Amino acid sequence: MSFVSLKFVLFVLVAVVGYYNIPKRGQWVWLLLFSYAYYASAGFKIVPFLLFSTMVSYAAGILLGQVNNLPTELEHRQKRKRFILIVALLLQFGMLFALKYAHWIFGNLFSLRQWLLPLGISFYTFQSAGYIIDVYWEKFAPEKSFLRYALFVSFFPQLLQGPIGRFNRLAQQLYEEHTLNWTQIEQGIQRILWGFFKKMILADNAARFVDEVLWWNNYQKYSGTVILVAILGYSLQLYGDFSGGMDIVKGIALFFGIDLDENFKRPYFASSIADFWHRWHITLGTWMKDYVFYPISLSKPMNRFGKFSRNTFGKQLGRALPIAVANLVVFFLVGVWHGANMKFIVYGLYHGLLIALEGLLLPYTRAWDNKWRNLATLRTFLLIQISWYFDRADHLDHAFALMQKTVTDFHITDFWNGTLFLNGANRIGPWFYGILLVGCLILYLVSYYQEKGMQLGEWLCAKPVAVRFMVYLILLYALPALGTLSSSSGGFIYAQF
Amino acid sequence: MNHQSNLEKIIAILQDICPGVDYKTCQTLIDQQILDSFAILSIVAELQDAFDVYLTPMDIQPSNFNSAQALTALMERKKAGGK
Repeated sequence: MSFVSLKFVLFVLVAVVGYYNIPKRGQWVWLLLFSYAYYASAGFKIVPFLLFSTMVSYAAGILLGQVNNLPTELEHRQKRKRFILIVALLLQFGMLFALKYAHWIFGNLFSLRQWLLPLGISFYTFQSAGYIIDVYWEKFAPEKSFLRYALFVSFFPQLLQGPIGRFNRLAQQLYEEHTLNWTQIEQGIQRILWGFFKKMILADNAARFVDEVLWWNNYQKYSGTVILVAILGYSLQLYGDFSGGMDIVKGIALFFGIDLDENFKRPYFASSIADFWHRWHITLGTWMKDYVFYPISLSKPMNRFGKFSRNTFGKQLGRALPIAVANLVVFFLVGVWHGANMKFIVYGLYHGLLIALEGLLLPYTRAWDNKWRNLATLRTFLLIQISWYFDRADHLDHAFALMQKTVTDFHITDFWNGTLFLNGANRIGPWFYGILLVGCLILYLVSYYQEKGMQLGEWLCAKPVAVRFMVYLILLYALPALGTLSSSSGGFIYAQF
Repeated sequence: MNHQSNLEKIIAILQDICPGVDYKTCQTLIDQQILDSFAILSIVAELQDAFDVYLTPMDIQPSNFNSAQALTALMERKKAGGK
């Protein structure tokens, strides 16, 4: 059931109306029922995978909780904990591997992917794995009720494309009783409309041009200039699609009084690649930081390497080297997380290498970057554009071919001689560019004021009812009038992961 | 070593890794993103050397890294053999 469908609007409407009209102690059960109904609407055959992930992490939590309660001085306590952790993570990631990656290594013989790839599997696997590790680290006691825990894994707005939730921030909100709050509902509507603006007017409009130009069978027809514009369009498409989707998810969750973690904070305003990852897909970045980056960096072998490196290369370089190595591992995994394709691994390693380089050069660049922040932002933006070649291409050779064409077949005159309108059946007129340029200007202004710390949602909520109503009405009218609807992958790029 | 000299030692480490912050008063080093993960790991490496302790991922909590005082308390707990 796509977010961009009348069926989904009705589904949410029934869920919200019922939520506030049943006895409050049953609200979380209501959410659980709707969450499974939502997931099952994509096909009953994918439900067992969600259940398996839930059962494994629930059981691991309970077992770890029992061992956590044993006296710390007891022999084998730590060994038992580690055994449970390893088995649970192997089962969790084993399922993900079999469904998403096995075909890549073993061919179709040992892969389940030929039958199905359950929607959102990467998201709920990571969310469940995070819970297991947190209980292992004794951050909190495990959830005793299986059904309550099942809601934490399956809460429907975030099930398909995140944000990847943390038990200690999300679970209590899901279980507590909520009273209807009209301000929160209005804030939810604002986020949803803003999300649809990004999705339908920016992302899906840009996709028409991007898909035509960058398609493997098509790109040779176009000049490097057109390809460059298509890559810029892709950066808009991807941001609009994913962050717009997140706005919709946040908005729907607000209808139930639940405040999900932010997944985007104006990433194209970042002044370094590390800063970009503090702003782009934040919950994946923090997941990797907490559960991969810190454990690797603080492991005994890495500690030994750190000491060796400080003694050998001096304080500055010696400190940075082990962190750079851990970063490379993290971004290799970020690449693999995106899919079983060499282009994603190169995409991840490209980011990892740049962050490692930034870390090594930090003592020399810090002052310059603080002084010339806008130039640092522009540099970061351009470096990110290069990474989109890997992300968007069909495969690695395609990415390099697109890059080569951008450089060797670039003609500045294409910007004003009509080439960018494309030709033939896929002609794209000035109206297309007009909508995108005005849309980008609105996006930039909103982002600029948000970056300055302005709370635009609250600012709008403080305006008279008539003004707010007009703004919402204009947006509601503009969406179908100026927007495009994509039909691939339930409408959202990241739902495929 | 007493508490005050531990605190001074930690402030010196912080100043070396991320200069330009008033570590005597700042209580929001993580909340305000003054220290990023790169800085945190540099600090951890220096603290482990200086205090001869071993930190684990469980110790990397905002509550332990938000101020020089919190870091001092963490080091003192670790030296005493606690969590």
